[in-house]
Amino acid sequence: MSRIWSMMDIGRRSMSNSQTALQTTAHNIANRSTEGFSRQRVETVSNQTLTGAGSLQIGSGARAGSVIRTNNPFIEKQIEREGGQAGYLNSRSELLARVEEVYNEQVNEGLNHSVGAFFNTFRELSNNPESLATRTQLKETAENLTKDFHRVIRDIQDVQKDADFRIATKVEEINQITKEISSLNLDIARIELHGSTANDERDRRDLLLKQLSEKVNIRYAEGETGMLTITAGNTAVLVSGTSRRELTTGTGYGKEGPGSGNLEIMYQSTDGGTPVNVSGQMVGGELGGILSVRDDICQNLQNSMDEMAYKLSWEVNRAHVQGYDRQGRTGNLFFNMTDDKTNYASRISLSDAIIGDVGRISAAAQKDAPADNTVANIISNIQYKGIFDGGKTTIDDFYNALVGKVGIETQRSNSEATVQRDVLAQLKNTRESISGVSLDEETTKMIEFQKAFDASARLIRTADEMLDTVLNIKRY
Amino acid sequence: MRIADKMQFEQVKNNLSKNRSQMSELQNQAAMQKRLTKPSDDPLAAARVLGSRIDLQSNQQFSKNLTYARSFIEYTDQSLGDLTELITRAKELTISQSNDASANQETRRTVAAEIEQLHGQMVSIANRKLGDRFIFGGFQTQEAPFKPDGSYRGDKGEMRIHVDKETFLPMNVPGGRVFLGQGVDKEGMAFRSDPQPKTIEELEKKQLGNTGDAPAEVRGPASVAPAVTNQAQTAEDSGLNLFRVIKDLETSLRTNDKDGIQDSLDALDSSLQQVILTRSQVGSRGMILDQLTQTLEKAKLNNQSAISVMEDADIFSTVSDINKTESTLQATLQTSGKLIQPTLLDFLR
Repeated sequence: MSRIWSMMDIGRRSMSNSQTALQTTAHNIANRSTEGFSRQRVETVSNQTLTGAGSLQIGSGARAGSVIRTNNPFIEKQIEREGGQAGYLNSRSELLARVEEVYNEQVNEGLNHSVGAFFNTFRELSNNPESLATRTQLKETAENLTKDFHRVIRDIQDVQKDADFRIATKVEEINQITKEISSLNLDIARIELHGSTANDERDRRDLLLKQLSEKVNIRYAEGETGMLTITAGNTAVLVSGTSRRELTTGTGYGKEGPGSGNLEIMYQSTDGGTPVNVSGQMVGGELGGILSVRDDICQNLQNSMDEMAYKLSWEVNRAHVQGYDRQGRTGNLFFNMTDDKTNYASRISLSDAIIGDVGRISAAAQKDAPADNTVANIISNIQYKGIFDGGKTTIDDFYNALVGKVGIETQRSNSEATVQRDVLAQLKNTRESISGVSLDEETTKMIEFQKAFDASARLIRTADEMLDTVLNIKRY
Repeated sequence: MRIADKMQFEQVKNNLSKNRSQMSELQNQAAMQKRLTKPSDDPLAAARVLGSRIDLQSNQQFSKNLTYARSFIEYTDQSLGDLTELITRAKELTISQSNDASANQETRRTVAAEIEQLHGQMVSIANRKLGDRFIFGGFQTQEAPFKPDGSYRGDKGEMRIHVDKETFLPMNVPGGRVFLGQGVDKEGMAFRSDPQPKTIEELEKKQLGNTGDAPAEVRGPASVAPAVTNQAQTAEDSGLNLFRVIKDLETSLRTNDKDGIQDSLDALDSSLQQVILTRSQVGSRGMILDQLTQTLEKAKLNNQSAISVMEDADIFSTVSDINKTESTLQATLQTSGKLIQPTLLDFLR
């Protein structure tokens, strides 16, 4: 009799196991397209055997041991790391595309053209230094050139402002993520206190970690209770167990005093502590990419433009002051000039004397020689004179090389970003191959568990019939 | 390999977006007919296109300069031709009056009147204008360089025109040289040009010599105008003063001075030589001009074709690429449709 009861008991528990398994299958199917989800399995273990009469070892069925997730932590870590690189390259190439537009002279006429026109007008002046019309034309062309220098600088600064805007958004997103991670830290510690695994919470936290790593370079470690400590850069501890600290943004100290510089990333290690500028530490992820374009590339380009404008003005002025204007005056400046090279490209302007009177343009090398074009010739020949890199590079070569450099930089980061995206896609594929949900598989499991459920029910019926048989023995 | 559902969807998504972006790029190329639309498409070519463009831009200006210089040089040549004729006429007249057999005081006086007229004509040739510029005034183009008595108010300035990257071509002949013989050496064979500064350094040196002061500060305020160089005739200027030759001839004729007339004959020959020497110089400038024009036209053509080769799309390869990509896209779409549809569930009814 006791064996029939035991049979019924095994059947009942088996039915419950099948239900648990089916429930997990349902959970898997429901999360088929949840980002970062790892498929789960019920691990069933056979129950301890009861020692029956004599030496018979009779099994006592199975029980659901635990629900585990199928996951390869190494791959997750790799995705997190490559994702950081992908974030860096993507944001860099996006922003570089904007920088490139500033120097795109394939479609529009840019600075290259203005410089050429400037020297050509000096040639025009040299053809006919007596003509006021030519002088006026020269003034206009030169003003255009200065405006074009200003435009390029303004465009670069616009890119930097765009970068600032992106940085503010990213910092906001990072703070959102760390907030969720710190609360997941608490959940995971609470669930795992009882020895089970916090599958869904860990999946979610892994996903958030990957997203965070895409935005900024982080280091992290898991404590004994399963809580993560995350550091951005070298010193900015964002999450430590259940506590967290936010990144903030603040305007740095620019050249025109406080509030004029670019946006900097600030970190405050304790409440009421001094916010520290940690921008320099953010070398990876999207933030790192944005900062590298804003602070390295854009800054270098501005410096190059300053150098170009300064050298040009210097050389033109040097010849021009030696010349004589229509009224026989000498020592006239063509461009306004200061000793300070910084930001020169955004300040370059014609001297007030020339703006007021084009007669002040000095074309002659001697006094009262209206057709003398010696100085005009010398200035027009500056175009072919090596005035950069210690006399090796002409102004055209200097600028064209600059455009080439921007092109190469953009091209390289575009192709690197493409490669990195492929690497990441491949890794994600591998991850899905391990952890992803397959409907075919789940359907098969469903049938399997349903059959098990059916069979268990049949077992109980059989036991019931056996009991009936036993109870009916007396009637015959 | 275990295939999860998400992998399939991701794959379809990735492949389609890759094909579509390729397609849009090619479409853009076909529409713009350009291979290069931004520097990163081909950075080296982009930099070289810029180089060629700037060359083309300057070459167009050089062409313009050449055209301008040509009209100046041609007009100078024509004027010198007229001058040659004038002197030849004077010589003819002189020959006819140089012996007593065919001439006497009466005829000489008549001819003297004609010579006086020739003198006037010579002054008017020397004061010829192209547009609003006197062509024989050196740098002094705004007022007539020669007074009626033949004295020179112009200078030795040579207007050099930028006609090629490295070349500056002088386009005018200072009147002092051809009419007064300034800068002609003792043999009467070659002209000595005043060296003009071609670089900033030379200019600074020259101005330093002019003023005796340090060169003006590039950034500083306007300094005091230095004194002008002395334009006076120097000892090396041993050419002939054509006006004086004519004037002497006229005087000799009026005074019936046969020896003087015969001396003038020699002087006229030398004068002719001086003008012809100048003319040949102008002529050789014209030849340089022709050569430069041809070189420039060729260079312009080269610039244009270089730009075209580097930045224009090869329409045949673009179209064939489009066809290829399109068929790939079609295939991707078709296989994707088949890939996504069936699951085990479809067969369990």
